[in-house]
Amino acid sequence: MAVVHQKFLPLRAAVIGTGKISEEHLRFLGTDPRVTLAAVCDLSPSLARYAVDRFGAERTFTDSRQMLAEAKPDVVHVLTPPGTHARLVSDALNAGAHVVVEKPVAPTHREFLELWSLAESRGRKIVEDHNYRFNEPVLEIERMVRNGELGEIREVDVRMALAIRKAGGRYMDTSLPHPSHRLPAGVIHEFITHLCYLTLRFLPTFERVAAAWSKHGDDTIFKYDYLDALVIGGPVHARIRFTSHSAPDCFTVRVGGTRGWAETDLFQPHVRAVVPRTGGQQLSPLVNQFANGVTLMGSSIRGFRNKVLQKTPYEGLRTFLDQTYDALRTGTEPPVTFEDMDRAGRLIEALLDDANRV
Amino acid sequence: MKLLVTGANGFLGRYVVAEALRRGHAVTVLVRSTETPKVGWAGHPNVKMVQADLRSRRGLAEAVADVDCVLHLAAAKSGDMYAQYAGTVVATENLLAAMTDAGVRRIVAISSFSVYDYLKIRSFSVLSEDSPIETDAFNRDEYAHTKVVQERLVREHATRLHWGFTILRPGVIFGKDNLFTARLGIQAGRIWIRTGAWAKLPLTYVENCAEAIVLAAESEAALSQTLNVVDDNPPTQRRYAGMLRKRLSPRPMIVPVSWTIMRLIAGMGVTINRVLLGNRAKIPGLFVPARLYARCRPLNFTNQKIKQVLNWRPKYSLNEALDRSLRMDAMELTKVDSSPQKEDPAAKPRHPKIAEVAA
Repeated sequence: MAVVHQKFLPLRAAVIGTGKISEEHLRFLGTDPRVTLAAVCDLSPSLARYAVDRFGAERTFTDSRQMLAEAKPDVVHVLTPPGTHARLVSDALNAGAHVVVEKPVAPTHREFLELWSLAESRGRKIVEDHNYRFNEPVLEIERMVRNGELGEIREVDVRMALAIRKAGGRYMDTSLPHPSHRLPAGVIHEFITHLCYLTLRFLPTFERVAAAWSKHGDDTIFKYDYLDALVIGGPVHARIRFTSHSAPDCFTVRVGGTRGWAETDLFQPHVRAVVPRTGGQQLSPLVNQFANGVTLMGSSIRGFRNKVLQKTPYEGLRTFLDQTYDALRTGTEPPVTFEDMDRAGRLIEALLDDANRV
Repeated sequence: MKLLVTGANGFLGRYVVAEALRRGHAVTVLVRSTETPKVGWAGHPNVKMVQADLRSRRGLAEAVADVDCVLHLAAAKSGDMYAQYAGTVVATENLLAAMTDAGVRRIVAISSFSVYDYLKIRSFSVLSEDSPIETDAFNRDEYAHTKVVQERLVREHATRLHWGFTILRPGVIFGKDNLFTARLGIQAGRIWIRTGAWAKLPLTYVENCAEAIVLAAESEAALSQTLNVVDDNPPTQRRYAGMLRKRLSPRPMIVPVSWTIMRLIAGMGVTINRVLLGNRAKIPGLFVPARLYARCRPLNFTNQKIKQVLNWRPKYSLNEALDRSLRMDAMELTKVDSSPQKEDPAAKPRHPKIAEVAA
């Protein structure tokens, strides 16, 4: 009975790091009835207090170990720069908490495996934030793949364009360089996990990798500002690109199969699908154009509504956290599994491997 | 005195350093960039440049070493809430920590008129230092929110440690390259949408304001005081826009929108958001009453207290200030004679107690 009762108690959550991304986590934690926001921790007492004022955390701390000892959270969200994750995740696991952690879990795959091993020994879970996987357009394309609407998958193209080199932007700040510059892939490492886990949704295995890491800017702080990679698994070819040299910002996913293809831009959400339609080979192009026109008009209206109501491309984070907390409460498998994190980590390692560089 | 000026390379900071040097102070200039600021006082023998970023504690010990008083001007004016927290609030936390470690016990913190709660101040009443402060800054923009937090931080920290502190709240600081103010309305190229006409603008010309800041560091009477910084005879929106328009070439086109209409639109906006959209909609600032009132509510302003406490008299009238802003270049405006200074009595604390606090 005690175990059953435990399942209905809210989980006590704590957040370490109250920067920009914490806003999305805290919005969920502050409103979901299955969670009590027990504590927030930040080196800045004012930032921690801001989280309390805005999202209603019970307590604030500036020392994460003190927080773990006193607030005794069931789940810890580690939202600090990746270079600090190893220590903070280890501490949380050793304190008996599950960990939800922003990507990447650790700067290298080896460190991730060590943390996973620690989690297993403590009977706890590490769940990496793969939020874009849970955005509606991606779920829609996955549904189409499952239903066979696209046929056998043969091509995947995941491309992100971000103005990370914008003058005055946080990645161009030379007086206080962004911590991601110290990661193995530099600033691109901040985003590469997203590119990899989305690719791997449609590419179950990979055998061959070729990656061109480039830097076209003339600054001194960036390691790379362009990635163009080819990943091949069986008959499926995938292309992964990150650029800071073309505009506007976009995050496109295109999946092509033996019957048709579907694409989306997660920053301007819509799904465009070209598949066999009623009317046969002759009329399918016309029906596709008409159907996609109608879909696009609907997406425009939804886009306007989302803009007004401040629904951002982080919409998938709420679904991700919702499913994660369900799993943690019931002891079932979280929506982002070890295999998901392991495969994404291995693909990142392969992209960075000198042997695969072009 | 030995002064540390944070934000010294900003719009106001450049003039504060110039004024401090003119008054014979030794100035440590805290700058983020390694590049020498393009100012008239660059290379002055009484200037010590220290490169550090207040968002991190690295390098701050050197900046505050042997300083008598900190003039804290640094703040973020743009970016999202987190960027402004880092540049304004976290920066202040780091500065206060470095001052505590170094035993520096005097600070003049530059706050802002944005901390007032304009919804609670009646139209056409006088806004003074005793007017209510914003308590629900989530209704306001990021700048107002972080300035409220910053001011509270300085006050609480300095009071707890028995420091000498002065909070200065400048109104709208204007000067060369900063003549348009959001309190006039919206600037879209040559078209100015002037929201209101008879509301007064709490202007302070940047050189006048800089003098007030340095005076506050020197004055014993300023200890534990909060002072509004506004020049004499604040003009109305209409008058200021007209004065500016006459001086600019090509002349901007001014499109007036009345305060009553703006209030109605904002009232409708907030009602629709509350009733139909559950307060989830993001509405442009001018259509949010708390922000609209902060910019355009017709109020009167007084500088009686700062004049009394600091014996400050704004040196330049509005006409002179506009002429200087438009006719002189920035190097000329911040130029300081680097020949050996005469002993300036004002350069020493005006009262032995200041020296005591500074020590």
